[in-house]
Amino acid sequence: MSKKGTSTFVIQRASAVILIPFAIWLLFNIVSLLGSDYETARAWFASPINALALGGFLIVAAAHMRIGMMEIIVDYIHSGLRGVLLLVNWLFCLGVIAGVAWAVYALSFAG
Amino acid sequence: MADNAVSGAPSKRPLSPHLQVWRFTVTMAASITHRGAGVALYGGSVLLTLWLFALAASPALFSALAGFIQSPVGFVIVAGFVWSLCFHLLNGLRYLYWDSGRGFALKTARMTAWMVFIASVVIAALILWAGYAAAGSA
Repeated sequence: MSKKGTSTFVIQRASAVILIPFAIWLLFNIVSLLGSDYETARAWFASPINALALGGFLIVAAAHMRIGMMEIIVDYIHSGLRGVLLLVNWLFCLGVIAGVAWAVYALSFAG
Repeated sequence: MADNAVSGAPSKRPLSPHLQVWRFTVTMAASITHRGAGVALYGGSVLLTLWLFALAASPALFSALAGFIQSPVGFVIVAGFVWSLCFHLLNGLRYLYWDSGRGFALKTARMTAWMVFIASVVIAALILWAGYAAAGSA
């Protein structure tokens, strides 16, 4: 983390700005989306625009939440656990990116 | 305090943000709620990723998740995610406004904090009401 403060600050603000339209889109769609059955949801994501909107939100969110959680860990954890938690945080966010990228490909582009 | 920098001994200075020593102000409440909502969104985004992954990979897992979302616990999670997203988005806009060097006057900062709390609840309630009303009539 040391000597990366400025780029972390910039990435957190840039990802925040990018997330604004994605978040508004998600707020308009999330309740009906999560209420969908399997066929409806598959049909919904057959459109790449929908898949890229949710996929884009989650991937940019992963970058944003990695930094946010890192700041919380650094603020409150002062023991050796800090390094472990920072690594787990990294792996969770990488997992989100990998899972979302594959799912968007499989849902909208593979068929 | 300078000796700490030389000896490398742990600092005795109070750590910020402190968990036990504070006085209630609406700006401080907005700050801690921003973090809390951020953590909730972290969990929600992981769950949303699982939902999307299940849709692509496993109809059985997807059906199980869809059933859970319809349950009372699922509703609380969806409602919590929607409100957290509303709050974090609105308060995040407030922080971006701060980054422009404006909005720091105490009166302004207090007023915008109250506005974010009230607007986030109103908008989240509207989204949930409209979303579930549409699902019920479909």
